[in-house]
Amino acid sequence: MTQGSISNRIRSLRFHHGEMSQGELGQRIGVTRQTIAAIEAGKYSPSLVAAFRIAHVFAVPLSEVFQWETES
Amino acid sequence: MPYREKTAWLSLLAMAITFGPYFAIVASRRLPEASLPNLNLLGLFAAAALAQVLVLGAGRLYLGRTSPDDARTPPDERDSAIVRRSMSAAYYVLIAGIIVVGCVMPFSFSGWAIVNAALATIVTAELVHYGVVVCSYRRQT
Repeated sequence: MTQGSISNRIRSLRFHHGEMSQGELGQRIGVTRQTIAAIEAGKYSPSLVAAFRIAHVFAVPLSEVFQWETES
Repeated sequence: MPYREKTAWLSLLAMAITFGPYFAIVASRRLPEASLPNLNLLGLFAAAALAQVLVLGAGRLYLGRTSPDDARTPPDERDSAIVRRSMSAAYYVLIAGIIVVGCVMPFSFSGWAIVNAALATIVTAELVHYGVVVCSYRRQT
């Protein structure tokens, strides 16, 4: 099985969207501020639906929000 | 701290300060042994159960007042995933306890010993449930 981890650019995307707060992003995709914080910190992997919703909020493809990094 | 983690801490606290003393008294055998229904023990159990309801009620009320928005927000996908994981862990504890209480204990114990073992099983399963909830939120924060 391929080993790896999911990284994300949510913090930077929030910054480029008028320093959107975690709470606001959470509200727009239907999760709590703490869940956004956990996703940002890479401590929680969101469902595919939530991932697409985040990408939709920032109007970018999913691959610009989440990246799969393989471990060598 | 997420609202649901606070409620899990509250449940753990309520369990500890009500059923902790209950099982301590039962284990120390400070109540006189009596045949069923043993009203002393029944009264102690009723007091513990009532105290738990009161502590939980007061705690929920306080938490609801201090963070009304969080209290109104329905659980999101991470909350649901944490609850599923904690329920799954508690289920195994409950099943193991029920096997002991229902299939092993009746051969050597009776009456309140079995009732208290069943209660201990439920309390332990609840402790595992809320314990896993708290640990999961701590790990993901």
